[in-house]
Amino acid sequence: MTAMTGTVAAAGTVGASRTRMEGRAKVTGAARYAGEIPFADLAHGWLVASTIARGRVRSVESAPVLAMPGVLAVLHHQNAPRLEEFAGMLGPDPTIQILQNDRVPHVGWPVALVVAETSEQAREAADALVIRYDQEPHDIAFSAQHPGMYTPDDSPLLVTETGKGDIEAGLAASAVVVDEEYTTPEEHHNAMEPHAAMARWDSGRLEVVDSNQGPFAVAQDLAKMFSLDLASVRVRSEHVGGAFGSKGLTRPPVVLAVMAAIVTDRPVRVVLTRRQMFSVVGYRSPTAQRVRLGADTDGRLRAFDHQAASLTSTIHEFVESSAGIGRVMYDADAHHTSHRVVRLDVPTPSWMRAPGEAPGSFALESAIDELAHKCGMDPIALRARNEPAVGPVSGLPFSSRNVLGCFEEGARRFGWADRDPRPGAAREGRWLLGTGTAAATYPARVAPSTAAVTAEADGTFTVRITAVDLGTGARTALTQIAADALEVELDRIQVKIADSDFGQAMIAGGSMGTRSWALAITAAATELRAQLALPGDIPSDGITARSDTAEAIGALARQERHSFGAQFAEVAVDVTTGEVRVRRMLGIFAAGRVVNPLTARSQLIGGMTWGLSMALHEEAIRDQASGAHVNADLAGYHFASNADVPVIEVDWVDDPDTHDPTGIKGLGEIGIVGAAAAIANAVWHATGVRHRDLPIRPDRVLLAGSRGC
Amino acid sequence: MRVSMRVNGRRVTAEDVWEGESLLFVLRERLGLPGSKNACEQGECGSCTVYLDDSPVCACLVAAGQAGGRDVVTVEGLAGAAGLDAVQQAFMDAGAVQCGFCTPGLIVQAHYLLRETVDAGGPVPDDGEIREVLAGNLCRCTGYEKILDAVRLAAARKAAAAAAAAGQAEPGQAEVGR
Amino acid sequence: MDFLRPATLQQALEAKAERPAAVPIAGGTDVMVEINFDTRRPDALLDLNQVAELAEIGSDGGLLRVGACVSYARIIGELGRELPGLALASRTVGSPQIRNRGTVGGNLGAASPAGDAHPVLLACDALVEAASVRGTRLIPAAGFYQGPKRSVLAPDELITAFRIGPAMGPQQFAKIGTRNAMVIAVCSFALSLWPQGRPAGTGGTIGTGIGSAGPVPLRATDAEEFLAAELASAGLWESGVALPSTVTHTFGELVAGAARPIDDVRGTAAYRRHALSVLARRTLGWTWDSYRKGARQCA
Repeated sequence: MTAMTGTVAAAGTVGASRTRMEGRAKVTGAARYAGEIPFADLAHGWLVASTIARGRVRSVESAPVLAMPGVLAVLHHQNAPRLEEFAGMLGPDPTIQILQNDRVPHVGWPVALVVAETSEQAREAADALVIRYDQEPHDIAFSAQHPGMYTPDDSPLLVTETGKGDIEAGLAASAVVVDEEYTTPEEHHNAMEPHAAMARWDSGRLEVVDSNQGPFAVAQDLAKMFSLDLASVRVRSEHVGGAFGSKGLTRPPVVLAVMAAIVTDRPVRVVLTRRQMFSVVGYRSPTAQRVRLGADTDGRLRAFDHQAASLTSTIHEFVESSAGIGRVMYDADAHHTSHRVVRLDVPTPSWMRAPGEAPGSFALESAIDELAHKCGMDPIALRARNEPAVGPVSGLPFSSRNVLGCFEEGARRFGWADRDPRPGAAREGRWLLGTGTAAATYPARVAPSTAAVTAEADGTFTVRITAVDLGTGARTALTQIAADALEVELDRIQVKIADSDFGQAMIAGGSMGTRSWALAITAAATELRAQLALPGDIPSDGITARSDTAEAIGALARQERHSFGAQFAEVAVDVTTGEVRVRRMLGIFAAGRVVNPLTARSQLIGGMTWGLSMALHEEAIRDQASGAHVNADLAGYHFASNADVPVIEVDWVDDPDTHDPTGIKGLGEIGIVGAAAAIANAVWHATGVRHRDLPIRPDRVLLAGSRGC
Repeated sequence: MRVSMRVNGRRVTAEDVWEGESLLFVLRERLGLPGSKNACEQGECGSCTVYLDDSPVCACLVAAGQAGGRDVVTVEGLAGAAGLDAVQQAFMDAGAVQCGFCTPGLIVQAHYLLRETVDAGGPVPDDGEIREVLAGNLCRCTGYEKILDAVRLAAARKAAAAAAAAGQAEPGQAEVGR
Repeated sequence: MDFLRPATLQQALEAKAERPAAVPIAGGTDVMVEINFDTRRPDALLDLNQVAELAEIGSDGGLLRVGACVSYARIIGELGRELPGLALASRTVGSPQIRNRGTVGGNLGAASPAGDAHPVLLACDALVEAASVRGTRLIPAAGFYQGPKRSVLAPDELITAFRIGPAMGPQQFAKIGTRNAMVIAVCSFALSLWPQGRPAGTGGTIGTGIGSAGPVPLRATDAEEFLAAELASAGLWESGVALPSTVTHTFGELVAGAARPIDDVRGTAAYRRHALSVLARRTLGWTWDSYRKGARQCA
């Protein structure tokens, strides 16, 4: 059989709506997630978490528990396998150096793992396990004024501080000034699937099934931690039940499962409870952000200052990059952005959907709305007036920037022109009505990946790449991309993902997955087509071409490459009870090339719904005395239910990015950015009262109302 | 203890069931039916929704022993010999599935909604009714819009099929009452 | 742990007498959460689902008798006309799945101040029927609750039913939460009007109940007496004119004053008091409007 690519006049499938490849498996309940795959002789590990916020483990009273039915082992810092300290994707990660010493850095820190024949036996024994601590005083009280606040060093993830011009002089020379503090609370991903992992030894290889965003990265970490050859570690993550950043790094369950498999020489599964997820898989730090804007009466910015404070743990530094957004959105002669962080006795925060941009946009886009009101300007007009020609900090050109196109289209569809700008002017029965808007942006980054594309002897093609489908639709999008790259029909492509044996690839995170993987698949497909153009038959094991995009990515021009968007919201506020209900939302985005409109739209709507939850519902609360959460479950930690969500409309404007071979920018984060600010701005418009602290709870609306009016 | 029940039409018996165990645990860990998901263990998320006799319930809040002798239908039991149930098909077609972890519970609950409305000869449910009936099924991915699309689509297809069937009996009456 | 599965009420009572520590389980919506979270491993579970008597709806004298294991879904579907206040409260319980399993009996057994049924039971002078092998007694709802998750129930007693007068005037229930669904009440309020006076209990014309704003569900007795007196003295029942705003306002203040709220995750005490006054004024407005409409239709 000879080469078959390009012989069918395949219509471009990228850009056309396609239903999900694994849809049937998911709607019938056949799809197996990491904690659901049966293995012979499977044992179950149950995490035991510390109940103190700071101190040391004095003793672990294992003996009585080891005598309980079915218990196989109790692992703790004195007997657990030793782990190599290693530098992973982002350097050393102390959050997975667990059971290595007696130190307890926060409530919920893993202090033991009970392994038993059944998960019920493991849970019962874990609850019975007595652990004695030497407790030390703890500090979990976050505020921007905390004396422990410091300016962190730059990292690969974040330039801490940027600045040009004289802020104080700029503010002094400004006719209009906004200077306010905005706060956001501790927020948690709460993907529906709790983290789960299974590890076993299979003919000398460590085989792992794990719920994560990057099986290759996890395999690398495990190999280093347990001093194994990378080739002898295999990690698979076929179906992942949502992640949003919480599964972006190697997390304790998989480390514990491997430890237990080593100790018991049996396959071991470790599944977290919802409550445990609140302490060991990262979360979004609370933030306190001061935004100072100075402008002329025509709204032109003279001074721009965004200072963001967040917290991290005592064992690892993670900085929520909230002040980064202004480096893209707005320019001023005096322009300053900075981050500070404080180490407290709390779990280590991590990436959560649009890290930095989500809380940062709440503060900044609220402040811009305040400025527009003070200038007596329409908030969209004020944004248009401050549209930068090049990156305000970098000075680099934008690969494409169609934020005004988003506002224009959004304003038309939302009916913005009919809006009475005066706050508190619209009423319907007991409800005050208001509308608000905000801008959105998120970086469109890319990272090196490898892929392999095989022309099979039967005329089909197999793509292998260590991508992961967290529910985003990656499996389907990559099939479309491969079909177009090979110019064949969709049904001749099989895309295999989520297996570390397929080699290095970017994790599914940072809105980078699809673009990074598409580049690798396209490169391999191009190479394959060149090989297939040569005369000859396809052997029984097929012809395979491989790609590695490291070099190509290194050669990409340095540019400001971002997605943009405009968010609109209408709210109804009952100021006598403080209830806020969102009536409709509209998001228009300029997010590069959209591969699959069906799945893309849902992802964007999902992101906007996160913004709604962030604005009104989400808030993890800690008890100062114990350092523990008081609402670490889904009854206490609320996000929007079906009945809370209004009609949410999403669309996109053309955003051709000709500087990138794929034109893809990614859609995972942009939907949440600015959404909470649009709602908060709408609440102001409805009531005349500005809410600078999230979430906008009924009691806050009420108290603010009695103060403000 | 031993618990016998009918699951998806088949008589099954689970041995050595702990008395405090939930129906969800029995389904997932003892009967090899992990379609119903365990995501909150407190009846807040609806991911474990199954039919117990004729009512959709959170399987995590039913003690295993309480299901003894009763009829349970899970997401695995909705597709028939003829293929997917209309709700399953609509969830695929409308793009209502993302990570899929809330999907099984949502499909059972949506199946119930249509059984009580369109299937019972009533009108197709309006959006408010759909949102209310599905309010106990949390989804973290979709923002619910495509789920609404799917339920509307399944309802419309069922209504059209019913109308077509009625139309064969009484030509010209196909759209009456819709 | 033992799993006891009596088939009759007599067997259930005997089991409870023999094993007072056995935890009754009907819908499981409270008990199973505690077991799933391992905050409780009772010595035995006493499954009441097989006891047909507990799922019956009947009447006794002028009162309805609703079995302890009748689900919220059945109250909504079967008793909406007779018990509109309770049906409204039932609609706000959890989700449809929870309403299919959860029961008023379970709400009473758990005695959580946030239970949605309590304010209505108070506002309607319901009687809790508690039975044991020693006999059956009727406990007025107002005397049933003793503290957060504590009631006057004896260890060998089971809640078998509640008895409640069918509505003879408008009833309302309102609840504030941060979401539209799946919400534990920040606070809730029930109001019932009995233009001819209640057939039992206090005999008064106004009934109230407050939820989630004190260690136990509460009645706003002062508010009831104030409103009853105002309506009677001004002849408002007969005239059916709009309520003076001073009456509505004072009623709201008295209801707020009856609350004993605390600050917690879901709201501050001050917010709860304020919100209760709003709910009281609002439910009074709704019930009075509906009474006036009814009176006009009769006339």
